[in-house]
Amino acid sequence: MSSHDHEVEEVLPPTPGDRVITFLKRKDVVQSFVLGIFFTLVFVILGRDFYPKWMPTIMSTDMKANEALMVAFTYISAPVCGVVLGIATYTFLNRHTGDTPPEDGPAIRTNTPVVVVWGIVSSLMALLAIIWGLVELNVGSEAAASEARTAMVVEVTGSQWVWTFKYPAQGIETHELNLPIDQPVIFDVISSDVNHSFWPVQLGVKVDANRLQTTVVHTTPTKLGAIDVKCAELCGLYHAYMETTGQIMTAADFNNWVTAQGGHVA
Amino acid sequence: MTTLEHQVGSHPIPNPQKSLITKLHMGTGLVIGAIFAFGTYYWLRSGQDMTVARNVNKVLLISMFMWSFGFMLGIGAFIGPFRWLIGKDLTAEEQLFLAGEGQGVSRYFRYCTDHKVVGIQYLVGVMAMLGVGGTLAMMIRTNLISPGSKFVTPVIYNSLVGLHGITMIVAMIVVSTGPFGNFILPIMIGARDMAFPRLNALSWWVLFTAIPVLCSAWFLGGIPTGWTAYAPLSVQAGPGMNAFVATIIIFAISTAVAGANITATVVTMRAKGMKWNRVPIFVIGATMSVALAIPAFPTFMVSMIMTALDRTAGTTYFDANFGGSGWLYAHLFWIMGHPEVYVILLPGVAILMEVAPVFVRKPLFSYTAAILGFAGIAGLSVLVWAHHMYMSGWLPMLNGPFMVTTEMISVPTGLIFLVILGTLWRGKPWMKLPMLSVYAFLWNMLIGGVTGVYLSDVPADNYLHGSMYVTAHFHYTLMGAALTGAIAGLVYWFPKMTGRMLNERAGYISFWFTQIGFQILFLGMFIAGAEGQPRRVADYAAVYRNSDRISTMGAYLIGTGMITLLWAVVHSWRKGAIAPMNPWGAKTLEWTVPFPVPLENFDEAPIITSDPYGYGRSEK
Repeated sequence: MSSHDHEVEEVLPPTPGDRVITFLKRKDVVQSFVLGIFFTLVFVILGRDFYPKWMPTIMSTDMKANEALMVAFTYISAPVCGVVLGIATYTFLNRHTGDTPPEDGPAIRTNTPVVVVWGIVSSLMALLAIIWGLVELNVGSEAAASEARTAMVVEVTGSQWVWTFKYPAQGIETHELNLPIDQPVIFDVISSDVNHSFWPVQLGVKVDANRLQTTVVHTTPTKLGAIDVKCAELCGLYHAYMETTGQIMTAADFNNWVTAQGGHVA
Repeated sequence: MTTLEHQVGSHPIPNPQKSLITKLHMGTGLVIGAIFAFGTYYWLRSGQDMTVARNVNKVLLISMFMWSFGFMLGIGAFIGPFRWLIGKDLTAEEQLFLAGEGQGVSRYFRYCTDHKVVGIQYLVGVMAMLGVGGTLAMMIRTNLISPGSKFVTPVIYNSLVGLHGITMIVAMIVVSTGPFGNFILPIMIGARDMAFPRLNALSWWVLFTAIPVLCSAWFLGGIPTGWTAYAPLSVQAGPGMNAFVATIIIFAISTAVAGANITATVVTMRAKGMKWNRVPIFVIGATMSVALAIPAFPTFMVSMIMTALDRTAGTTYFDANFGGSGWLYAHLFWIMGHPEVYVILLPGVAILMEVAPVFVRKPLFSYTAAILGFAGIAGLSVLVWAHHMYMSGWLPMLNGPFMVTTEMISVPTGLIFLVILGTLWRGKPWMKLPMLSVYAFLWNMLIGGVTGVYLSDVPADNYLHGSMYVTAHFHYTLMGAALTGAIAGLVYWFPKMTGRMLNERAGYISFWFTQIGFQILFLGMFIAGAEGQPRRVADYAAVYRNSDRISTMGAYLIGTGMITLLWAVVHSWRKGAIAPMNPWGAKTLEWTVPFPVPLENFDEAPIITSDPYGYGRSEK
């Protein structure tokens, strides 16, 4: 303690800039910083690859927005993970083993600037996430309003343990969800018994099916191909098997299919 | 230092002659409880048409409550209150007998008012519950080992999911505040016992009566609803559902009693000089947790009473055909359900905050930030429940506000990280088992927290809600963070609770198996969720085969680790090395008392002059 004090007394009181530079040159700070950068990069790569690799084909505007958002959030959280894991790993590398306790460390009880900066930065990051989410929500509801005029309506009924799709304008009812591409669609979802949750996986939307309460969800398919429809709310015995498939088709194919089902082209 | 010889000693064994109290114990409780339960069952059954589901539900529910009541009668819980009714109370001798003085092991099977006995009862009970819940989890993962596996039928699978869920939730709610909140917390604050010792015994034994009720679900056809017990599925469900309903109602009584007791103890019985800024952080975390439970759990109880009425009395609270609503249930459930996850998390985190300064030999970094973190989490947690209902279709226009409150929780959670990181910073952490848990917590809570931010965001939740991703997320927080904290507490306080050190080698083996298995299991589950596998499915499409297989392998590693831990606990408890009075060199009060901790804990009431974190060399 005393020798340390001497050093401090001999030099002039450091300016804030000097103190920052001294701080940044400290071995523990440099080590944590390098480790932090490493972990940040790990999470950036994870963010870039994890969701695009594992999530199913993007087949609607909503699915695209969902995936983009998850990737972006992983990027945003990467520096947070970097800071936490960087400091944690640095202290872990300095660990003490054996059966006797280590010497006491420095008696740092608090550090007001650190607490304040930490609080402000984490609040700003939360604010960023909140604003991002709210903007997405708003974009979604505006899209819904503009699509509503031209949208095709599909009435979805969940019952234990089967999905039924009724196309009122076409006058058909099926158990497979076929939709024309680039045509906004509104799902009016209802249950005939317990709660279910309507989940056309590749379209990236979801809403519960409730008894006697219609819930609404909308999207626009943007890619041709097969889709899976699942139930995302435990609904009893065969919940796991309450799934079906469908196709996103060209408008012509869709009309042919409707006609083949005995319906009329709207 | 003390040895095991320094037992009972000076006090004579109390002998309240002819008192009924001396004749009652767990055995009489079980007998009278069984007589009440089966007597009620056969008596009510005789006059009813038992082909009608409503009558079956009625008879079963009443029988279950009568079991609980009969057990409490048989163990002597009502002797005190009855004496009050006739204007008397227990004699001093009887009270000393109830405190378990000089009774050896038998006091663990009595209505014992000593907080240390209650703590051990909770510890054993919680370990049994975790063991059952863990076994159910192994069965779930075994069934999911490959698509089309027929290890169990869908009926049994759904029951496994529901019973695993509720057993684990019940166990996790009391896993830290039960054993450590009762055994350690009063000593930590320098109290001679809890504020209400008889209520303390009541809270444990009431919880105990819930365990056979929950187990009976298995024999009554299981529960098909998961632990959330959503209506109207729960109203439609078979007789096993009654066991669920009764369990929750009984459990809610137990937690209300325990919560009020712990809160009152901390508020009124702290040692002289222990101002609020000198209270150990575990005490703060545990108290906030139980205090948060007091307003939260009654809504669960109410929702279960309403479910019971719908199932027995023909009310239609949740039946849309007659103007009811399933959303009403979802609200009541989640108004409890979201504070509840923090009821589980806070004490686990608080244990790790208690442990970190001891093993780093540095003061807790920013006690104020820790309190702000806890308080912020507890405060916000009551305002976020509808984020579980983004996709329910209930008022989508409120999704925005609930998203805002939910994402705000990341700020106080960030303070928790700051406190732990700040405590570690520039220290040389002593790598004993509890310290390893601190590191495991940092990683697990980071993953759990970040994925929580995705889920709190409505557009991302569009895709992830109801998928395996959610399951993985909350296991990271509840198991990876809260259970890790509780296990750290077990290892840390094991010497004080049992007088012996926990076998270190077995502890390390258990730690690494559990933590590595945990990462493998839930990494697989995150992937399955991202791929689009819904939760709670007995079977799945072939595309999820790899991720589910990885998960199952991870689960078996966890199973191995947990069995090792169980072995370590049992073996060390019987034959472990005798612990010194303060093996970790900690500064909190519980390490100043000998083992076995004498009745009323302290010979002389301690006086507190500083907080317990006075470690460290001072420097400029």
